[in-house]
Amino acid sequence: MADKKKKEAGYEPKILSFCCNWCSYAGADLAGVSRLQMPANFRTIRVMCSSRVNPVYVFTALERGADGVIVTGCHPGDCHYARGNYFTRRRQALLEKVLEEIGFDRERVMLRWISASEGPEFASTMEEFDATIRSKGKNPLSEEVFL
Amino acid sequence: MARRIGFFICECGPNIGENVDIDAVLNAVEDMDDVVLAARFGLMCSGPGKDFLKANIKTEKLTHLVVAACSPKQHELTFMEVCEDSGINPFLFQLTNIREQVAWVTKDKEEATEKTIRLAKAAIRRVRYHDPLSKTALAVNADVLVIGGGVAGMAAALRLASPERRVHLVERSSSLGGRVVAQGPIYPTMASGGEMATAMVDLVEGNDWIVVHRYSEVSVVVGFFGNFEVVVTGELEDGGTLETKVNVGAGVVATGAEVLEGKPLEDLGHGSIDGVVSSAELEAMLADGSIGGKGGKAPKSVAFVQCVGRDEVGYCSEICCMNSAKQARLLLEAAKGAKVHILYRDLCVPGRDQQAFLEGAVKAGANLVRTTSVEVGGSKGGITVSHSLGDGKAEKLMVDMVVLSPAMVPPTGTEGMAEMLNVELDPSGFLLEAHAKLEPMAAGIDGIYLAGSASGPRSVSDSIVQAEACAGRVLSSLIPGRTIEPEIRVSHILETLCTGCQTCLEVCCYGAIVYDPMKNVSHINAAICRGCGNCVAACPSNAISLYHFTYKQLYQEIVEAIR
Repeated sequence: MADKKKKEAGYEPKILSFCCNWCSYAGADLAGVSRLQMPANFRTIRVMCSSRVNPVYVFTALERGADGVIVTGCHPGDCHYARGNYFTRRRQALLEKVLEEIGFDRERVMLRWISASEGPEFASTMEEFDATIRSKGKNPLSEEVFL
Repeated sequence: MARRIGFFICECGPNIGENVDIDAVLNAVEDMDDVVLAARFGLMCSGPGKDFLKANIKTEKLTHLVVAACSPKQHELTFMEVCEDSGINPFLFQLTNIREQVAWVTKDKEEATEKTIRLAKAAIRRVRYHDPLSKTALAVNADVLVIGGGVAGMAAALRLASPERRVHLVERSSSLGGRVVAQGPIYPTMASGGEMATAMVDLVEGNDWIVVHRYSEVSVVVGFFGNFEVVVTGELEDGGTLETKVNVGAGVVATGAEVLEGKPLEDLGHGSIDGVVSSAELEAMLADGSIGGKGGKAPKSVAFVQCVGRDEVGYCSEICCMNSAKQARLLLEAAKGAKVHILYRDLCVPGRDQQAFLEGAVKAGANLVRTTSVEVGGSKGGITVSHSLGDGKAEKLMVDMVVLSPAMVPPTGTEGMAEMLNVELDPSGFLLEAHAKLEPMAAGIDGIYLAGSASGPRSVSDSIVQAEACAGRVLSSLIPGRTIEPEIRVSHILETLCTGCQTCLEVCCYGAIVYDPMKNVSHINAAICRGCGNCVAACPSNAISLYHFTYKQLYQEIVEAIR
């Protein structure tokens, strides 16, 4: 199985991505239609709006061993739900601050705006985030045991 | 009842079939809890594909369905229909996208297979926690509220009113017609604005299906597209007020614009120097014949000063250059050989007819002068206008009359209107449209539309275009006798957990949440909620849940996706 091979070869990051239905998810689809090749290590969760992403989900993912979490949404001013992404932005800023306070590498989480027409941007963002996370190595929490 | 989940993977011809090891995926998921069937098919969205699904749902008595195929934007509805046809609630289904987001973007087949397995497992874990949801249908009220009785409001009302659709036209002042009814000839045709507006007023007043509320303002609007409850407050002759309740399905805001007053005009001598007037005052003089016409006087020399207050308001008002060109033509007709200067900073001459119209004014004798700053002073025998031509050069004019073209600004009361309707305001103070390019006639709230200058300065023709567009939106969506199906995937508040903190009220962009002080809990109006889930993420007590994107469903999906 692929899993086994990976383990033998070494570290392969696990990345969780949140995409909003109207912009970034459509951008990801466009990247697919354009056959833009990307790293295969991110798993997308579709939400209607990035503002649905409760910061608790980001913590949960990190706690359970995700090496990086990326939240993507519509560009400011373009939110399908008027101002949802502004709330996402504020929550993300606070979340990063909290991560920093507790001594966790805040760069393991990222927020990006990707429109439905930005297929290439979606692909390059995923490349870039993968490279960042790869350079950081394993999420230290993935080695810990939580009781 | 025990869950019986069926997992189906679509080969999508070679699209998925060649890039993903489908048997490996089936092997990986078939032992998962509640999965009773894992099967493949060549092209699941085709007729035979759908029949294959239906047959398996029946023989295996499936209760839940997971399909790994293309993007939900492509075929989510297709498979939801299959569910409905087979007697499964369409929300007990999850589609996972392994074409656009796996097969087409992953070079390595092994990696693509692994990713597919993860996503398929995540979808299966998620679907176990899905709840059946059902559609609701609400009867619509086809009547329409139009706020503002200017040309935009009247045009919308006239287009909308019919025996099946009553229109309530609410006008703040004593009479209909707005700004245009006081106008003389208007560009580019030089037809009388006053006559045009008066003709519209007659049509409105003669229309049995338009109820005109004069001396009235809208004081309360609550509800949602299809069902708004409105209170119209009218002023009575004895100084009292009369409240009228009306029910409508949609509203058109046509509150227009006002002309800027105050300091920017006073700095140029308005109110202190005789002969310095605003363009609106000149319009009234031209219309009543005190300037031009028979027996009217006509100034021998005039300077128009454009862009008054433009820096203060921060935008170009679009209509003033053409209005001054028109007034210049009228003044030149009234006094042959008069000297008319138009001092402008930037000319705004958009559209098909405008340039020829402006050139006509120049041909008639108007002198267009580009300037960077203007000062106006009183002196014996006239008014002095000193202005700079740039490059350090300056010019001094002696004139009989100075006409100031002030910016158009939002009418008083716009802020209150925005708050009442839950419509956003632009930084300039005008009402903000849902989308500047794609939906310039719609407010961000379903069923509320913006016509004319309510969302920014507009010419008469543009105002009418918008009014007709608003009417078009209403006519095509608010059909008498029809019902509307509100979004099903909406948020709801669990009263037992709600602490009444009202954080959700602050984050909701649609005014869908109300606070009940008696119970000290908040409540979401499902007909207004769009289902973004913003309030869910904001709720500090976890009292809010978004149907089909519940905490549990997303948690299960996340955990399985990163396992």
